[in-house]
Amino acid sequence: MWVTEQNVARVVEAYVGEYASGKSEMAINRALELKNQGRQVTLVDLDTVEPFYTLRPLQDKLENLGVNLICLSAKDSFGLGETGAMLNPKARWALRHEGDIILDIGYGIHGAKTLNLVEGANESEELKILLVINYTRPMTNSRERIKEYIKSFDRIDGIIANTHLANETTVEIIKKGNTEIAAVAEENNLPVVYMAVDIRLAEEVNQHEFEIPIKFINRYMPEAIWS
Amino acid sequence: MQKVIGETKKAFLTGNEAIAWGCLAAEAEIMFGYPITPQNEIMHYWTRLAPKYGKNFLQTEDEISAGFTVCGALQTGLKAFTATAGPGNVLMQEPFGMAEAMRLPFFAIIQQRGGPSSGTVIYSQQEVSLTAHGGNGEGHRIVYSTANHQELYDYTIKGFNTAWKYRFPTFLLGDGYQAKMREPLEMYDPSDRGIEIIKPFPLIGLEGHIGEDREPQHLRNIYSLEEELYDVVLKYDSEYDSIKAELVEFSEMQCEDAEIIIISHGVVSRAAEDAVKALRAQGIKAGCFRPITLRPFPREQLLAVIDKSNAKKMLIAESAMGQLERIVKYEIYGQTLPVETLFMPGVGIIDYDLINKVKSII
Repeated sequence: MWVTEQNVARVVEAYVGEYASGKSEMAINRALELKNQGRQVTLVDLDTVEPFYTLRPLQDKLENLGVNLICLSAKDSFGLGETGAMLNPKARWALRHEGDIILDIGYGIHGAKTLNLVEGANESEELKILLVINYTRPMTNSRERIKEYIKSFDRIDGIIANTHLANETTVEIIKKGNTEIAAVAEENNLPVVYMAVDIRLAEEVNQHEFEIPIKFINRYMPEAIWS
Repeated sequence: MQKVIGETKKAFLTGNEAIAWGCLAAEAEIMFGYPITPQNEIMHYWTRLAPKYGKNFLQTEDEISAGFTVCGALQTGLKAFTATAGPGNVLMQEPFGMAEAMRLPFFAIIQQRGGPSSGTVIYSQQEVSLTAHGGNGEGHRIVYSTANHQELYDYTIKGFNTAWKYRFPTFLLGDGYQAKMREPLEMYDPSDRGIEIIKPFPLIGLEGHIGEDREPQHLRNIYSLEEELYDVVLKYDSEYDSIKAELVEFSEMQCEDAEIIIISHGVVSRAAEDAVKALRAQGIKAGCFRPITLRPFPREQLLAVIDKSNAKKMLIAESAMGQLERIVKYEIYGQTLPVETLFMPGVGIIDYDLINKVKSII
């Protein structure tokens, strides 16, 4: 059974996947969802390669919404420079925080190895590693490529189908992409936890039948100027 | 030959990836590179794609070496390229100069970051002077300043062709924001758009005996006498002059009745277009002009746009301290329209910044 508020004491999820697949967006939405259920949530930015491009611009906003955010602020990164690719000590011990922990693992396959740096991650029975796939991304735009991509990870516990084409997303694009993702997931005996859909498409999407559960998401990342 | 892209379709990409795919579509064969943010994912993606398509990659010990290995590979007839940024762009000026001297079909991608020195890894438009006029020569170069992911893909393909057609160093000038942004674009096989990819050809080791079958191939970056060099530079300059007209590219929006013309390039021009729309909606007659080629600069086109407009002022906006402004002022010398400026070195400019600035000066 999948983890829900009812059947587990706390939620510990790591979002991994292709660069620009929507990991941060999924992680933010999940953190806020849990927060809105009245839970204590810590969201961890684990991009050790380029920590300057990730959740930092949304720090104030997310903290004001009540999420405990672990990321490098401008103050924390003083003097770090380009060679300062480092693990934030707070992130290293993230799993020792109370409450739910959502880990946003930056930088693709290589980034996923960062999880080894988090104390207790490999031993944790609570941790679920979720692979985010966007079918419009060139490296995951066919069944063969998705299969190959999944193989590059040591461990995946579930898949999130996140097929979007920014503001040009249509129901057809979502349907086609997520159906393909679901087919590969089934072949690999992996559950598709849900498909994420931009809430602006809710009305249209609700007129269609989908076998996968739908989770409507808000887009926060466009607020970062480079997104 | 194996089609790299296949059927044209929309995809969701970061800018660096769009460039890597563009290099594949342009039939590039080898990348020489040295890591530097914000161009890293061009290398990362190229190295992911390369084994699948029989392409090659070599990481050299630094940017000087990356540039010179490109110079070497080009002479053997390999379609080689590199990508860099900031201090890497500084180091590569020496090999870029060699390419200029030896007329090598050198295509490089520059993703501007903050400066001076290592500055920031993030974003700027501070590499305009360096890319367009760097090196210890005359800056006989071709520089495309892109504004969106479609253009990153299109101008990567075009850039290779320009370099191989004219044999002047050719640059795609992007920036850290374009490198990291994610947006949809259409990836296509160039042949589906009627674009013919120029095949590479060797410049050394040519067939035939020198003096009998063919003239010697002189690829030189050093001369014994000043008169020799003088003749060569004049020849290059006249050749460069003769192709300017067919190279210059620009875009212009609503300048015909504009009272103020915003001049910007690259990613800032997107903010300028949004600002023009917003200002027009508020009854302010604004227009904008964007040089796509920073070198050669669309001088005649800008002068014509100004002449046809009702402009009382122009506003030059850039994420640098006047690098575009210096080019514009030089190019349109004699034109007396007052110039206002919005310089935000190393920082992004959004429509709001431009709207406020325009309102404060009209």
